[in-house]
Amino acid sequence: MDTIWLPPALVCYALSAAGFVAGRTANRPRWTDQAVPLLGAAVLFHTLDLVIGALKAGNIPVTNFAQSLSFLAWLTAIVSFVVMLRMRMQVLGAFVAPGVLAAVGAAMLLTRRGRLVIPDSLRSAWLPVHVTLAFLGDALFVVAAGVSLAYLVHESRLKAKRPLSRGGQPMPSLEKLDRINYRLLGWGFVMLSLAIVSGALWAEASWGHFWSWEPQELWSLITWLLYAGLLESRVAAGWRGRRAAALTLAVFTVLVGSFLSVSLLFPGKHSFG
Amino acid sequence: MDEKLLIVGVNHRTAPVAVRERLAYGGGEIVAALARLKSRAPALAEAALVSTCNRVEIIGVAADPARAIDEAVSFLAADREVDASLFAGALYRFEGRDAALHLFRVGASLDSMVVGEPQILGQLKLAYGHAAEAASAGLVLHRAFHRAFSVAKRVRKATLIGRGSVSVSSAAVRLAAQIFDSLSDKTVMLMGAGQMAELTARQLHALGAETLVVTSRTFDHAVALARALGGTAVPFENHRPYLKIADIVIGSLAAARPVLDPDDFEAVLRERRYRPLFLIDLGVPRNFDERLNAMENVYLYDIDDLGAVVTESLGERAREADKAETIVADALASFMRWMDGLDLVPAIKDIRVSIEQLRDAELGRHRAWLATLEPAERQRIESLTRTLVNKLLHRILAGLRSTGAGSPDPAYTAELARRLLCGELMAEGPTLSGATSDFDFELHLDDDEEE
Repeated sequence: MDTIWLPPALVCYALSAAGFVAGRTANRPRWTDQAVPLLGAAVLFHTLDLVIGALKAGNIPVTNFAQSLSFLAWLTAIVSFVVMLRMRMQVLGAFVAPGVLAAVGAAMLLTRRGRLVIPDSLRSAWLPVHVTLAFLGDALFVVAAGVSLAYLVHESRLKAKRPLSRGGQPMPSLEKLDRINYRLLGWGFVMLSLAIVSGALWAEASWGHFWSWEPQELWSLITWLLYAGLLESRVAAGWRGRRAAALTLAVFTVLVGSFLSVSLLFPGKHSFG
Repeated sequence: MDEKLLIVGVNHRTAPVAVRERLAYGGGEIVAALARLKSRAPALAEAALVSTCNRVEIIGVAADPARAIDEAVSFLAADREVDASLFAGALYRFEGRDAALHLFRVGASLDSMVVGEPQILGQLKLAYGHAAEAASAGLVLHRAFHRAFSVAKRVRKATLIGRGSVSVSSAAVRLAAQIFDSLSDKTVMLMGAGQMAELTARQLHALGAETLVVTSRTFDHAVALARALGGTAVPFENHRPYLKIADIVIGSLAAARPVLDPDDFEAVLRERRYRPLFLIDLGVPRNFDERLNAMENVYLYDIDDLGAVVTESLGERAREADKAETIVADALASFMRWMDGLDLVPAIKDIRVSIEQLRDAELGRHRAWLATLEPAERQRIESLTRTLVNKLLHRILAGLRSTGAGSPDPAYTAELARRLLCGELMAEGPTLSGATSDFDFELHLDDDEEE
């Protein structure tokens, strides 16, 4: 049930991703400069699509896997857009925009399958709150993974003594990438915690119990513990820089696994298939 | 008699720092090394030794350059206790014209890792000073070095080569900006008080690095530098705790082996809680073990790495370098004329002596009459005859030298002139050479120099 606004959004995502990647690899800073407003345009079209979808569904449009993918991509694009502008980190686009493009593209291909209406059992004021918190947490983790990837690339170049991009825009400093990674993880962790709490409250209100060991609940608990460990290792043991970036990516793969498996393999309240 | 300038050595292009550091000499060792070189390389009539971060060269003068170079190379291997096979492939050997060209290009900073960087001239002057102190520099080296200095000066003045020169230290600063977001909360630690290290520290300070720690083997040096830069001096024995707080460590110690090695560095890193550490190794031999670069969040750049990082505004630099090469070529031509002129020196000496003798003889014959003259008149005759002799000599010398530049065999022309002008004196043997001081002849040979 995608609207007419998703194709233009996809085109803008594609152009901006191409601009970011080409700007980085072919060393054309101007392409990167043009990719940023393109990403903004993509987010605008995408927002229209989601708003119209929400109006049609009567609630937040995450009724199937395609929609949830699209929603996650939208939040990820917004988070990275904000980070890029506020932190002056255009390079981030090269590491995140292709993923966003892939997610939106997949969403468009998959969108005609699956159920389109929200079951009555889930119609609740809790739904948008819980879902937005959960997906915002995921989006922050996606961007953190992108930042970590940028860190590892930049770090390996510095170690290999090929540090300066040839005339193009220089990478942000390692220190900055590390700090932004930390902050994104911190906010993501807060969102994930709130999503779990809100889910528990909602479950208690609807079914009379906080926790039912659903696959998604189990996975959420696992990822919550992993991210908690990641943050703790930095605070307590001083694991930062390369090690932190590598761990962020490792935990992120677990997150991706949980997202895919819960949606596609395990039926339940959280599955969007 | 036909002596030639020669140069043998390695530089940053032919040898990695791992090789250069094994051949390098500290500033204090060179005079003694030149004395050893003199005794072990008898073919070398004159010698100087240049040792910088980027080059180790023996500059010499010899009648048999090939043999002298071989002797110099085996001296270097023995003196530095390095297997000659380690650096044989990296050696360049220049003789005569090529050697002079190389020396001038080095002095003009055309052979530098960062073309146009100004430090090399000072380093060359130091090398010349050492050779003078060791009394291993003679007529040719004095001349060659002075010409190199004046070429450098002219290049600096007439081209933009030194302007905005992207030096190794600014490469280090740019790298620091790739690792650290802000320098204001960072601590810079200087180990050793080298010139380039100081320059780097100053630039980092200008970009906001507030805290500076200076340590040096000689505590007084550390104190002086710390005072100049507004930092804290630390005795070398107590430097270790400061590694925990430092974010950028610049090494320029004259140390035979690395002062930081990976075995006990893991503990330091743990205590630093793995905060990024930027190690800038400007020392040759290197101060920091290269394995440190593999350690977590440690970024080690030695002098070669920094040189490779330097990216320049190549177009303009290349044009200015072309101009500089022209200046070098001019100076080279004039130096080579002078070197050719050196072959004429014995003949010129004899001719001069012979004409002077004629004058003395004539004045002697008229001694009785001269004695009757007023002192002023006698003075006048003295100077009149001297002027006549000088003008005549000048004309002969000019003729000889122009033949020297144009004819295939200046030595033959000189010999001919000697026979013509002092034939009967030659019968008395060659003892005349050296009868007058070299100085007079140098004055005459110098007249095309515009220094």
